[in-house]
Amino acid sequence: MAEEKAPTTTQFPGTIEPQKPRLKKAPEFPILEKQNWLIHLHYIRKDYAACKALIKEQLQETQGLCEYAIYVQALMYRLEGNIQESLELFQSCAVLNPQNADNLKQVARSLFLLGKHKAAIEVYNEAAKLNQKDWEICHNLGVCYMYLKHFNKAKDQLHSALQLNRHDLTYIMLGKIHLLEGELEKAIDIYKKAVEFSPENTELLTTLGLLYLQLGIYQKAFEHLGNALTFDPTNYKAILAAGSMMQTHGDFDVALTKYRVMAYSVPESPPLWNNIGMCFFGKKKYVAAISCLKRANYLAPFDWKILYNLGLVHLTMQQYASAFHFLSAAINFQPKMGELYMLLAIALTNLDDSENASRAYAEAVALDQSNPLVNLNYAVLLYNQGEKKKALAQYQEMEKKVTLLKGSSSLDFDPEMVEMAQKMGAALQVGEALVWTKPVKDLKSRHRTTSANKSSNLQQPLGSNQALGQAMSSAAGFGKTTQLPAGAGGASQFSKPPSLPLEPEADPAEAISSEVQEQRETQKSSLAPE
Amino acid sequence: MASGSGDSAGGRGESTEVNSKWLDAHYDPMANIHTFSACLALADLHGDGEYKLVVGDLGPNGRQPRLKVLKGPSVLTESPLPALPSAAAAFLMEPHEPRTPALALASGPCVYVYKNLRPYFKFSLPPLPPNPLEQDLWNQAKEDRIDPLTLKEMLEGIREKAEVPLSSQSLRFLHLELGEMEAFVAQHKTQPIRRQTVITTMTILKKNLADEDAVSCLVLGTENRELLVLDPEAFTVLTKMNLPSVPVFLEASGQFDVEFWLTAACRDGNIYILRRDCKRPKYCIELSAQPVGLVRIHKTLVVGSTQDMLHSFTHKGKKLWTVPMPAPILTMSLLEQRSRGLQAVMAGLANGEMRIYRDKALLNIIRTPDAVTSLCFGRYGREDNTLIMTTRGGGLVIKILKRTAVFGEGAGEAGPPPAQALRLNVPRKTRLYVDQTLREREAGTAMHRAFQMDLYLLRLRAARAYVQALESSLNPVSATLREPLKLHAVVQGLGPTFKLTLHLQNTSAVRPAMGLLVSCLYNESLYALPRAFFKVPMLVPGLSYPLETFVECLSDKGISDVIKVLVLREGQSAPLLSAHINMPVSEGLVAA
Repeated sequence: MAEEKAPTTTQFPGTIEPQKPRLKKAPEFPILEKQNWLIHLHYIRKDYAACKALIKEQLQETQGLCEYAIYVQALMYRLEGNIQESLELFQSCAVLNPQNADNLKQVARSLFLLGKHKAAIEVYNEAAKLNQKDWEICHNLGVCYMYLKHFNKAKDQLHSALQLNRHDLTYIMLGKIHLLEGELEKAIDIYKKAVEFSPENTELLTTLGLLYLQLGIYQKAFEHLGNALTFDPTNYKAILAAGSMMQTHGDFDVALTKYRVMAYSVPESPPLWNNIGMCFFGKKKYVAAISCLKRANYLAPFDWKILYNLGLVHLTMQQYASAFHFLSAAINFQPKMGELYMLLAIALTNLDDSENASRAYAEAVALDQSNPLVNLNYAVLLYNQGEKKKALAQYQEMEKKVTLLKGSSSLDFDPEMVEMAQKMGAALQVGEALVWTKPVKDLKSRHRTTSANKSSNLQQPLGSNQALGQAMSSAAGFGKTTQLPAGAGGASQFSKPPSLPLEPEADPAEAISSEVQEQRETQKSSLAPE
Repeated sequence: MASGSGDSAGGRGESTEVNSKWLDAHYDPMANIHTFSACLALADLHGDGEYKLVVGDLGPNGRQPRLKVLKGPSVLTESPLPALPSAAAAFLMEPHEPRTPALALASGPCVYVYKNLRPYFKFSLPPLPPNPLEQDLWNQAKEDRIDPLTLKEMLEGIREKAEVPLSSQSLRFLHLELGEMEAFVAQHKTQPIRRQTVITTMTILKKNLADEDAVSCLVLGTENRELLVLDPEAFTVLTKMNLPSVPVFLEASGQFDVEFWLTAACRDGNIYILRRDCKRPKYCIELSAQPVGLVRIHKTLVVGSTQDMLHSFTHKGKKLWTVPMPAPILTMSLLEQRSRGLQAVMAGLANGEMRIYRDKALLNIIRTPDAVTSLCFGRYGREDNTLIMTTRGGGLVIKILKRTAVFGEGAGEAGPPPAQALRLNVPRKTRLYVDQTLREREAGTAMHRAFQMDLYLLRLRAARAYVQALESSLNPVSATLREPLKLHAVVQGLGPTFKLTLHLQNTSAVRPAMGLLVSCLYNESLYALPRAFFKVPMLVPGLSYPLETFVECLSDKGISDVIKVLVLREGQSAPLLSAHINMPVSEGLVAA
């Protein structure tokens, strides 16, 4: 028997020979957890190299019995992306200490990250047996169910997570599920509660703002987006959304200042350049607008909204041939939008191709549900071609839409459109319809870009009805200001709801660019006199 | 060591910019101090009014734990420690004069108490009660009433169910191979079962007076999820509280005999708040990330998390605010300037910044040459407001807050981000572009018509070519439904000899293709093919058959030609499909 009994051996990490205990007389075992605190300190400071060295030493000394060392090692593996290895280590932790719910939670988490949601749910349920009141288990169960598309179970779990302890993340997930199910109002309720609970979370604020935007509640949307920008002036989504709203109100300079922040941090964002382009368009800097839109188009060649805007700007610039190309490209990507066909028809009219123009109009009228401008423009074309009867039919269709719109929302119609319509009515000898009585009141507030539509071609031979032709050519720009996007823009967003909740990154930008185009489209819907 | 270099010798140029408020007292990048904020303490150890810095140093790589006492820039004493120190604190043990504070150093399962820098007392954590079942089993083993295998099974059973974990002796036993068990049992059966835990964190709590220099108790956090409050004189455990997880950082306020709050940031990412007379946490803050620092200012808590955020909570756990940090937080500490009644939070970041916040407002940024890993602010030497920082590389930085310095808010990044002032990078358009625009305006219709015309012509031509290809079977995929075949050719080699591989595939679902022939048409003055005409074996549907043939290039002029490959049916002259192979230039001959 060696008398080498060393009570101090526990103290000196370097001196212990963990193997061959049989030669010595029962050496004391080192405390397994003696360096856990140091491992943890290194870990939370993200000093992973030091942490790994220490773990290695510790595992050697304890012959792999130190549960916490293995646990942290697994956490680091997971951070490095070696999820399978981390899973194995967490499982060995669970073997060392089956009573610890944390180990099971981490096993489940790794399974979840590997996409094995069902297995993860099983392990979480196992962990829940050990620890009943853990929001994390409930929350993660909810997320697993969400990915398995068991939305009701997911909601139950998330709600019980919220009852245990409120976390922003749980609110976000719950909101997401409601969006996946298409329940916008419920999602808003959830996000409202979340913002109440943590008023400084910019992600929550931005999402709520965007949801309001979708519903057309602009005041609240702007409020929340503004709050988000107060807390984080460089928030990508919030800047884009708030900027687009400013554009809608004609505050192009303010919007541009906001976009500058983004242009610095995210210089390759197509929606950003789209919006910048449309800002310049609003400021009548057409060349700059085209440059920016072309950059946007270069960055996202398949985005029909950018093509739409390019078409619009080129129409304004009287570059009808180019406009035709952009618009037809847009139609190839988005064949279901009446306004696109209308713009194409306008381009064609100006290119002296009235046959195709009227075909495009017919398509536009067939597709469009709510925009009276389509019918008005078509009526003008038909009238110019001498087809009075058909023109009258379109005119009446337009009146129907106008009455409908007025009933549904407090719309303001663009004065030029109103004027145009009145002239058209007179020319068609329809009784002066009363549809326009109200809307004109808001004329002053819209110092809009209607003059952009002086457009039409004075050089073209006007028909016998010179005065009428000229008046028509002054274009029925239809400046639906803030409200109209609610209808039309909203519709275009709703048309692709799945992309909305799944890719929240891309979504706001999408919504926004569509927003902007909606607004823009108004600008140049010039009539083509023949 | 840091000795020798006087106050003026420090690397003054290193920390510039916002140092108007600070005097650079000392900077030694080679001070060789590796420690955490918890192991730094400032104390008047000798009662002479000259405050010393006590450092529980882990040593480089955590291998040479030492207790260092610094006076000014130099090390006063240095003594080795038996194990790595987890916390250091100076506290007053008894109310009598002279009121020199004692020094407590937590390390492993013990607290070493020094007075006048001499070892005074060693407190060891009471051993944990062993599992009675386990005890019983080993007792049986001692009397040889149980064989090792049964012992193992029984212990296994205990491990899986019991509340009280096994001792390390049993755990090690469970991991032994069959052959080793007997010897292990023989050797260890006489040993008593022991379970020992270690101290993870330590802080001090006033005993019964709120004074600056009042007698204080030590509060220990242990690995087995307990908080212990020790009597300052007798070192007995006054009270014991349980936590749901292992404490990492500990803050105490109030007085032990009156009312007190203990705040423990734990390894499960939660912060637990305990009060006097409750054995379990009263409030719980869930961070959803690991805390990296905990500072208490009056009744608010400021916590740094691994998500690079500073969070603030009330002492009842209500969230107050959150500030994002530009880099991971490494350490946090309290800055207390008594003369101005200022209490602020200092946070050392991984990007070499040390930021000072009062509530949400950023007061000051100190840039350090290396990332700061531990921080301490207080009276040092005879200077009231001294900031002591140690860096990742083992450097020591000492700065003195100027007596005239006033921290104003708004020193940080308020207002719009700087990017807002930058010009937008709008792509420029050339004169040519403008000219073209003008031309399009003038002749838009003509351009459009010309374009449409050309487009139609192009389409027409494409359609014609397609029809022609179909008619003459010039296509690599057969057009007839009767013989669905696909041909795809590969040329390998540099020349003059090439290998031509034809991959022929029968794309029909079930019907095998038989009786096919392949013929190659080529310019005989340029190429020679040993096998220009051959039969194709039966083609099983779905498989791709590689048919190989060699091509010899005869010309040395560096010219190349097209080889036509035709797939024919026996007895028919019209090919089923064909491929035109553009032969590469023979590099072998050109080079030669």
